[in-house]
Amino acid sequence: MSILGAGIFKGMAVTLKNFVGSYFDKDRLTTNDYSWRPDDKLPQNAGEYPKEEGEQLSDTTTVTKYSRNFPMLLHDGGEPMDTVRCVACQICERECPPQCIYIEKDYDENGKYIKRPAVFDIDVSVCMSCQICVEVCPFDAIVMNSQFELSTPNRFGGLLLRRDDLLKSNDYYHQIHPEEASARDQKMAEEKAAKEAKKKAAAESAKKRAEEKAKAEAEAKAKDEAGGKTEDTE
Amino acid sequence: MTQEITFWVLAIIAVLGALVAVRRRNLIHGVFALMIFFAALAGLFLLLLAEFIAAVQILVYIGAVGILLLFAIMLTERVTGDDGRRVTARGWFWGLVAAVSVFIFLLLPAIQEADLPESAQSIQPSVKALGHKLMNPYVVTLEVLALLLAASLIGAVAAAQGVREKKEGTNDA
Amino acid sequence: MNLDLIKDILVATVPLLIIFPSLFAFTTWLERKALARIQNRIGPNKVGIPCTRISLFGLGQPAADGIKMIFKEDIVPRGADRLFHLLAPILALIPAMLVLCFLPLDFSFFAFWDEGIAEDIKAVQSFALDGAVIFFFAITGLNTLAIFMAGWASRNKYSLLGGMRAIAQMVSYEIPLVLSAVIVVMYVGSLNAEKIVLAQDTLWFVFTPWGLAAFVIFFIAALAETNRSPFDLPEAESEIIAGYFTEYSGFKFALFFLGEYIAMFAISGLAVVLFLGGSLGPGVTVELVDGAKELESAFAGLPIIWLLAKIFALIAVMIWLRGTLPRLRVDQLMAFAWKFLLPLSILNILVAGFAYFIPQENIGPKVAVWTVSLGILYAAAKGLNSLNRADVKPREYKYAE
Repeated sequence: MSILGAGIFKGMAVTLKNFVGSYFDKDRLTTNDYSWRPDDKLPQNAGEYPKEEGEQLSDTTTVTKYSRNFPMLLHDGGEPMDTVRCVACQICERECPPQCIYIEKDYDENGKYIKRPAVFDIDVSVCMSCQICVEVCPFDAIVMNSQFELSTPNRFGGLLLRRDDLLKSNDYYHQIHPEEASARDQKMAEEKAAKEAKKKAAAESAKKRAEEKAKAEAEAKAKDEAGGKTEDTE
Repeated sequence: MTQEITFWVLAIIAVLGALVAVRRRNLIHGVFALMIFFAALAGLFLLLLAEFIAAVQILVYIGAVGILLLFAIMLTERVTGDDGRRVTARGWFWGLVAAVSVFIFLLLPAIQEADLPESAQSIQPSVKALGHKLMNPYVVTLEVLALLLAASLIGAVAAAQGVREKKEGTNDA
Repeated sequence: MNLDLIKDILVATVPLLIIFPSLFAFTTWLERKALARIQNRIGPNKVGIPCTRISLFGLGQPAADGIKMIFKEDIVPRGADRLFHLLAPILALIPAMLVLCFLPLDFSFFAFWDEGIAEDIKAVQSFALDGAVIFFFAITGLNTLAIFMAGWASRNKYSLLGGMRAIAQMVSYEIPLVLSAVIVVMYVGSLNAEKIVLAQDTLWFVFTPWGLAAFVIFFIAALAETNRSPFDLPEAESEIIAGYFTEYSGFKFALFFLGEYIAMFAISGLAVVLFLGGSLGPGVTVELVDGAKELESAFAGLPIIWLLAKIFALIAVMIWLRGTLPRLRVDQLMAFAWKFLLPLSILNILVAGFAYFIPQENIGPKVAVWTVSLGILYAAAKGLNSLNRADVKPREYKYAE
């Protein structure tokens, strides 16, 4: 039995801690990393906006490892489209509440479905950063990026991120969210190990069954021959 | 002297408010003019040093009855009165005769027979005296009014919920 | 017209008109900075003294905002009711400033400046109406009219709907507000604000069990009356733009804003007078002068300092709650008023009534009565809470797996 209104008081304690802490602990102010510098100068990139089409500034060095903004697709190094984890299963497209993801599957020359997305668009002007797509992805292919300088002078498509804009490597993911990335890698390794173990166990049991079947057949054949021989002599 | 001026100002505001409320085509304007009338009445009560009555007049009439009227008007059509429909009734002459005769035969004798004290200072209605009177001689009236209000509240809730249809059979466990 | 009357009018109104708008400006700055710090960012810190580069933590921001709002274009939608569009902000501001008269403000600190003025002010400020508390509630009810006017005059169906919802919210929360003030009036036996303050000389009403429950109910209902978070559905800034005052720009919006904050001050002032002892505090005591109780203070100006300090404490709690709690949905809001606060406040009146008539001369019965009433009120609150509990299930995904 909890005290009536305990949740409200706990919430108020958290906000009080935030209020008092923001005076002493400058790391809390995630978006204001320059206003308290002693010489009051802005860092290199702040205030510069992309002047050409397609240019995006990287600004992820100024936020903490807890900040999230919009999703990105992961690949495991090398040529992005060779090691991309996304298989275009379209689960995130269906679960997205504002329906901001658009996916098209990739087919090879014969028309067979390859496990890659041909088109993967996210409209970040619609995305509400709810992270449902991250939660439901069965392949750990989509995670949250923390890049926030996304402003563009292009009104009509500047905020539609295409597949190639969204592909980022796993090393970059480790750089911006180290704890979460290592947790995710560990989970994937465990799942893979479990799958390998299961496959090996299945292979072993299959082999054992095959051996037993072979032995049984051999015995049956031996009995047959023995029986046949006796039949012959009759 | 200031009391007389205040009385005349408030009385003129009251009468003008009532006239606008009755004659205005736009219903919302009419209701707000009616509320100006109520406010002027509250001012007149204050002149008579009846503070509690003035406060209750504002609280009940403007704060409750006025809002109720506005909600009721929301449910009607043609609220702004922009169409060119005829407003004055055909029998306006006999209506005027009826109103003037009510004034002459009922209100004027009542006004002339009323016995008013010299100034408002000698009557000092206080909330305590009001409370005492409500509890001692008029407690039955109070309880009957409370029952009436409770009945109307229950009726309003019942009317708002609508008629419930009896469901037959299907009872999901 | 004799000059004395004009002087009396000026002396009664001008201090209020100077002090409270400047407090309003300070409060907007305080709210923006406090909310920002709670949300891990810094509030406005660039505007200080105008035309210089001195930024005194952004204290010039309210002035900059005021100047901006005055110079904005005043847009009235085509087809809107121009008269009501103009009157609505004025009607929103007038009740808020009018009820400030009913608080027992003591401007005797003017004695520092001129003895004569202090005497005049004292003569006029004994404005203590015998029905101050009920006038307060009557005039606060006029806010609903202003909101309806604002919603109607905008010729915007969403504004009208927002206005209707706002009126429904304010009318529903007026009942627990008044019922919890009734307890204090019952104990004191008078509606006079000064007498209520004087009756709290031994113990503030908030320290009694029924007084504490009444204070909590009053505070929650006051948050809802002034459309403050978490009850700010009518003006949910990130969701419906501005609800019933979407179509107001420039100075009219500034008037609405001013009216809302001054209503916050006024209701906090009433809460302080009713429950937190008004101007009482260390240095301000109640003495018996000629058989009648009167307020004596260590130096002139201390009572109003205490009153303003307590009002600011309540406003700080309001800002704190705004930074903490999410917004209530409209059905949750109405259910909270009618199914939780109303039964609890009626039960509170019953409990307070019983406790008033049980003789509590010795410490034993007093402790017993207090613990029993505290227990009854807490159990009732928990019971009503569990009756109204909505069932929420964890989120399930239809398309995954």
